[in-house]
Amino acid sequence: MISMKGIAMALLQKDFVAALRASTLAGLSAVLLAACGGGAPTVDNPVTSITPPVTYQGPAPATEDVQAFKLNLWDNVQVSNRCGGCHNEDFGQTPLFARHDDVNLAYEAANTVADLGQPSDSRLVSKVATGHNCWLSDAQACSDIMTTWIQGWAGAAAEGGRDIILEDPPLNAPGASKNFANATLANFANLVHEPILTTYCADCHSSSAPTPQQPYFAEADVAIAFEAARPKIDLDDPSKSRLVIRLRNEFHNCWDVGCAQAANAMEAAIQDFADTVPLTEVDPDLVTSMALKIVEGTIASGGNRYENAQIALWEFKTGNGLTAFDTSGVDPAIDLTLSGEVTWFGGWGITINDGKAQGTTAASKKLHDLIQATGEYSIEAWVVPFNVTQEMSKIVTYSAGNDARNFTLQQTLYDYNFLHRSTTTGANGDNPQLSTPAADEILQATLQHVVATYSPIDGRAIYVNGELVTPQGDPATPGTLVDWQDTFAFVLGNEASGDGLWQGVLRMVAIHNRTLTPEQIVQNFDVGVGEKFYLLFSIADIINVPSSYILFAVAQFDSFGYIFDEPHFITLGGAPAVEGVALEGMRIGLNGTEVPVGQSFGKIVQTLSSAQFGELGQPLSPLAAVLPLEKGPQEDEFFLTFDLLGDQSYVRIDDPALVIVETDLPPAQRIGVRTFDEINATMAAVTGVDPETLDVDVTYQKLRQSLPTIEDPQAFLSSHQVAIAQLAIEYCHALVDGPGAAAYFNGFDFALSPDVAYAGASRNQVIDPLIDRIMGIGVLTQPDFVDVRDELGYFTTDGVRPDNLIDRFLVSADNPNSASIAKGVCAAILGSAVTLVQ
Amino acid sequence: MKYRTWTKNKNSAGQEMVAACCRLLTLGLLVAGFAATASAGPREQAKRIHDRLAGVPPSELVLQQMEAEVDQFQAGSAIDAAYRAMDNPNFYNITLKNFAAPWTNRAGDVFVPLNDYVATVVGMIRDDVPFNTLLSADIIYVGANNLGLPAYSNNNNDHYATLEANGLDMMTGLERRVQSNVTGLPQQATAGVVTTRAAAEAFFVAGTNRAMFRFTMVNHLCNDMEQVHDTNLIPDRIRKDVSRSPGGDSRLFLNSCIGCHTGMDPLAGAYAYYNFNETSGNIEYTPGVVQSKYFNNEANFPGGYQTTDDSWINYWREGQNRYLGWDPTRPGNGNGARTMGEELGNSDAFAACQVKKVFRAVCLRPPEDATDRGQVDQMIASFTAGGSYSMKQTFAEAAVYCMGQ
Repeated sequence: MISMKGIAMALLQKDFVAALRASTLAGLSAVLLAACGGGAPTVDNPVTSITPPVTYQGPAPATEDVQAFKLNLWDNVQVSNRCGGCHNEDFGQTPLFARHDDVNLAYEAANTVADLGQPSDSRLVSKVATGHNCWLSDAQACSDIMTTWIQGWAGAAAEGGRDIILEDPPLNAPGASKNFANATLANFANLVHEPILTTYCADCHSSSAPTPQQPYFAEADVAIAFEAARPKIDLDDPSKSRLVIRLRNEFHNCWDVGCAQAANAMEAAIQDFADTVPLTEVDPDLVTSMALKIVEGTIASGGNRYENAQIALWEFKTGNGLTAFDTSGVDPAIDLTLSGEVTWFGGWGITINDGKAQGTTAASKKLHDLIQATGEYSIEAWVVPFNVTQEMSKIVTYSAGNDARNFTLQQTLYDYNFLHRSTTTGANGDNPQLSTPAADEILQATLQHVVATYSPIDGRAIYVNGELVTPQGDPATPGTLVDWQDTFAFVLGNEASGDGLWQGVLRMVAIHNRTLTPEQIVQNFDVGVGEKFYLLFSIADIINVPSSYILFAVAQFDSFGYIFDEPHFITLGGAPAVEGVALEGMRIGLNGTEVPVGQSFGKIVQTLSSAQFGELGQPLSPLAAVLPLEKGPQEDEFFLTFDLLGDQSYVRIDDPALVIVETDLPPAQRIGVRTFDEINATMAAVTGVDPETLDVDVTYQKLRQSLPTIEDPQAFLSSHQVAIAQLAIEYCHALVDGPGAAAYFNGFDFALSPDVAYAGASRNQVIDPLIDRIMGIGVLTQPDFVDVRDELGYFTTDGVRPDNLIDRFLVSADNPNSASIAKGVCAAILGSAVTLVQ
Repeated sequence: MKYRTWTKNKNSAGQEMVAACCRLLTLGLLVAGFAATASAGPREQAKRIHDRLAGVPPSELVLQQMEAEVDQFQAGSAIDAAYRAMDNPNFYNITLKNFAAPWTNRAGDVFVPLNDYVATVVGMIRDDVPFNTLLSADIIYVGANNLGLPAYSNNNNDHYATLEANGLDMMTGLERRVQSNVTGLPQQATAGVVTTRAAAEAFFVAGTNRAMFRFTMVNHLCNDMEQVHDTNLIPDRIRKDVSRSPGGDSRLFLNSCIGCHTGMDPLAGAYAYYNFNETSGNIEYTPGVVQSKYFNNEANFPGGYQTTDDSWINYWREGQNRYLGWDPTRPGNGNGARTMGEELGNSDAFAACQVKKVFRAVCLRPPEDATDRGQVDQMIASFTAGGSYSMKQTFAEAAVYCMGQ
């Protein structure tokens, strides 16, 4: 046995070719049973109601340890609906660890079935874990509670110490699975690509789509499409293909038959394709470790938490049913009833979509009583808010409704709010409330450890992920809890009245009747949440060192993935020292194939060395990897692969480069309109007016963003034309009234009356220079010179079209003068398409 | 400033009528203009070149000169005509300014004041500075000393805003400077337009500096993150702030987030020492000290990458994004924004992006068929030939290609 810092770790060396861990446990159990002396077969406990604890009248506890046993374990198990109904001196079910006559004798019996070094491995725990007279509907909850009691006896909780024993795991080669390497492109093309993907998905998932969206599994080139589709297809279970799930569960762009039918069609196509793929072994060229399932690992979670003042605990391990058990071991348990849309979350937790988890007011009174006894408390939770848009959403609350509470931890956008009833904060605990600073955006839609503490000296504080996030302190002077009510209900995810829904995942909630210190909060944060296992992947066959392993701390990350953390190289028992063994490119395999995504250790370069062993061996990387869950934690089989390990290597072939096959676009217009600055500059150029002229510039700056901003004629709007007309008029005004008019309209006399000035060919002196300058001379892509001149000055009404522009001005009731008419003619052509189109 | 509307101080009744006539005539002539495009000869083609490059029609004299150059039976060439059109100040003051302005802000807004980013783009094109150094050179363009402008300031944009407000000509008024001399950044910290004040204000402000990388990709490699999405790469450089289980669902990370962050995060490490201080209005550079923004929300995933320096690595040299065409003579990793800018600027995707942007700006449409794509390929070859990376040549070639359409 080797003792290591923080964790007393016994690394047991068993036979190199060990039996399955389950059989090992069975054997161990047999030994323990024999040690207990056997006895009459156990029978179901007939008592279902709690008999009030008998006041103990036997001999006093002989030692401090017996006293600890009595307070932590015996007082809890001696009641009649637990162990005390049978394992007593009257009924005679051995071992008599719950006997009422002499706690010292009970202590002796208990020592045979309790493992104080590893409470979770105690016979007491394993018995109730199998359902043996569990007093709750969930054997897991009973085993957790029993573990807590034994830990209390052992005194482990105060120090946070806990033994983790690593044992040689079973040695299994990676199993067979369907592999894309044996799939044919033709089958994919005929069964999936052609009938489904290109038909229904190509509008987006193709590089030639109007808005290309990778992955391009609907690419016209089937080879490219196949590469892109592979990660989205599960050959072993087509229903778990991402392509199917996107349709069936996420309703992603289902086609006209509806999502269910679309998903069925997709699944059927993939199934047909999968049926063409033979079951194959792991790529023999890979350098692989031995394989493991999570359940073959060593449980690593649950230890080291500070729980001395923990009076309620929900770890949500049950995974089914409508009750979340309070496994704190402190009676009465506040078991929560799940109602509404509340589902179990993979890897321990509950997901609250639209519902709540609520305890009875009678059980909830425990909080009132035990917190009032100390005058301080802490709320601790591991949460995953769904979003950062919900407001006044109750995460943890002990209240009666929106107007009355003892305490509440709630979310408002990016903030956590802590409402606490006291003599200084009012009946609703929000006058004032304590909030995390909004600007810091402390609350994120990801897994967070949040602790809200109340101290009669320092008031309230909030810690997130181990750090104090309310450095400003409690805005209220700490009061007293004399006004707390014992008729309120403890609720998660909603208000007691049901109108404070919080959407998210709760992975653990605990209530302590002490103010956790910052160190204790960090300690609990560091422990993490969820079920964590140490998996030992054997590499003994590769580096030829017995009991040599790559260790990972593995946990189910959420309902859809695993996390592989803390990679270490370790040897167990008396394995010889390892030095100078090269390790490069480590990947994680799942069910016979390397996981195509999330391989955080794929570029690792290390040299294995026993000299660098620490707590868990030689650390290989500070990173962690998140990998997709396929068949579930009971079935998924993992292994490791290496690009180089010792003298074995694997030559990895890079993914092919993307080949973009560009397709023709619909023909676009060959012309366009000038944009804002171009229009302004063009008008300046063809009129000779300085664009910095005050009136012109002021008008332009005002109109600038009303003018066209893109050249596409299809985007030209009537509002653009209005702006152009205004700007044209401003330029023409500046031209006709400006110093350049005489030269521009050479020979034209603006002082004459309109009928004289525009008589006969005189009007050409206005029209012609405008056309020549604005349209250009002899540019055949512009309108015909004569047509434009007629329109402006010569066309005579034919009953369908009116007279030319100048003649209409001359008879206008507005009676414009010669200059105004010139401005009108100028603006008509300057603000027209001959200027605008390029 | 005096503001007035045209209807209030002129012959209002007459002008209303004029406006009405104006609209009618516009519609009629617009149709006529569309119909007439088929008969384009040298003169019309010359006008098209000038219109597209300078944004304004040519004077009669210039049109005659360009017509002769376009005419295959006379001396000169259409390329010469295009270069003549680019002698018009409006090519710089309008076409290039509005070509670059959307690159300098997150909204892609063209209505932003002239700034050092835009001015540097205009100046580099004017002077035919190899454009592949756009993201890495120690270069900046400022207004000439004799223009009476406020001095360049690290705190504000007054220098350029005044240049624009006064209608000054960038063809003659811009002068090339050594950026590190002007801004005070260490020489090795300069990276072309990436380290201009305008770029910093837009993309180094707050956040995590990923914006600078993303918008550089969008604007200069013509690929947003969705187009370079690759979930198969090694995610060992994804920072801790990226939730691996957004809202409790790791599928979102493994199918979406990871695809962009695998490539983006290791490249954006190059910007680890940069920040834009909103209070002072300055770009900040802290050599050897990673900006605190790189540690935002690091508890989101403690097993993520911890940035320790400004090193970067281009994982897109592996996997499907090799198609972006990375320079094989470069190592694909390094330190700082400059070397990373060189990595991007010397990629095939960078060259293709510049050419396609020019094609779009001049031809007013994207390449749409095999002929267009062939032209683009030819322009890319010309653009990169001999390391010239001449944007003026690219503009000229695009204008000539589209002059007869």
